[in-house]
Amino acid sequence: MKIIPFLLGALFLFAGAAFSHHSFSAEYDATKPVTVTGVVKKVEWQNPHIWFYVEVKDESGKVTTWGFSGGPPGMLARRGITKDVLKVGDVIKVEGFRAKDGSNNGSGGNVTFADGRKVFAGSAEDVAPRE
Amino acid sequence: MQEPQRHKDMARRGTWGQPPRDLRGCPHVPLRAMSLCLCGFYVFAILALMPALLHGQTIPRTSEGRPNFTGVWAGPGFTHRVGPGDTDTPRVTTYDTAKMSPFKPGGDAFMNRPATRDPIKDDPTAGCLPNGLTRQILSPYAQQWIQTPTQIVVLYEYMHFFRVIPTDGRPHKKDVEQTWMGDSVAKWEGDTLVIDTIGLKEWMLDATHDSKPDQLRIHSDQIHVTERLRYVDPTTVSYQVTIDDPKIFTAPWSQDFEMKLHPTWKIFEFVCEENNRCIFGKCTEADVQKTSRE
Repeated sequence: MKIIPFLLGALFLFAGAAFSHHSFSAEYDATKPVTVTGVVKKVEWQNPHIWFYVEVKDESGKVTTWGFSGGPPGMLARRGITKDVLKVGDVIKVEGFRAKDGSNNGSGGNVTFADGRKVFAGSAEDVAPRE
Repeated sequence: MQEPQRHKDMARRGTWGQPPRDLRGCPHVPLRAMSLCLCGFYVFAILALMPALLHGQTIPRTSEGRPNFTGVWAGPGFTHRVGPGDTDTPRVTTYDTAKMSPFKPGGDAFMNRPATRDPIKDDPTAGCLPNGLTRQILSPYAQQWIQTPTQIVVLYEYMHFFRVIPTDGRPHKKDVEQTWMGDSVAKWEGDTLVIDTIGLKEWMLDATHDSKPDQLRIHSDQIHVTERLRYVDPTTVSYQVTIDDPKIFTAPWSQDFEMKLHPTWKIFEFVCEENNRCIFGKCTEADVQKTSRE
């Protein structure tokens, strides 16, 4: 499993705005997209946004645990997404944007499971305004 | 011929080639046909009034006969794509520029401000400060209304904000303090609840910055907000917001939204400080991240 930061372009631009407890730009950098694939180590289904942590091993064997922010629990629930959707041990690919402070955290706009299911891409994601 | 008599004669004779009509507007025909005409009129009237009659019978009402807004609602911050399991679709919603009145001189610059790159200024909710009215009206979270004969309490899921609104028609108190939610009073205009709010701090108009990170929209401390709520069917309320901000606009302007009743919903707890990990752009390390680093 490896870290694959790359430019995703406009497709996912401001994806984190979907979650909107506050402005995406207050915390995340839309010019720094990131994609990681790894194993879910912990899920915090809490306000103001859920967080999930993904353990990622690079080619040299070094392990980094990335934290990704998702939607507020209430907003997800109103759309039928419950905390059962993400479980510890799941292998997922996360596409998001890095935190402004450069830490291993980000806004996790899109999650794809090993079997190809996309959880947030087709649900909470389009909560974002498209003006 | 005197004018009233001429009108009566024209009515009896008919005009422009139409059959003669009596003074009720019905064709001047034998009694049986006239009865049919009247029957038709009554049937038409009943059909025309039926939606209103049904409406009056079926919308929730209090024992005093007022429309009853008690319940959990998806407010204007939803697109109301109600789905399986009584779900609905929260959506970050902003006021429509096209609905706004023209700006006064300086009004545009007052309302539309460039982002400062200081998160506390650009979006104070990042630090768990309130939405305030008017942004709160568009919150994409549920809200619970509790109605008594003399007041309505609105419990907003988002950050646990609330409003206690007297509905007995009293005026605003004198010397209103400026606050985030302002001073609201309400009255009934028939089946329409009219909520009048003043005393708001200069604060965010809406969450425009959410989709346009370089722009903020701010309302002034002179803003006067009127909300008009009226059931349009047993689970839908028409929710009109009128904004009169004389520091910014030349005239008041209105935008129409809807609220949808969700009988199975409960409002959730929302403690903003619970896990606000990247407050103002500086993320706190989680326990599992420390473990992997060690």
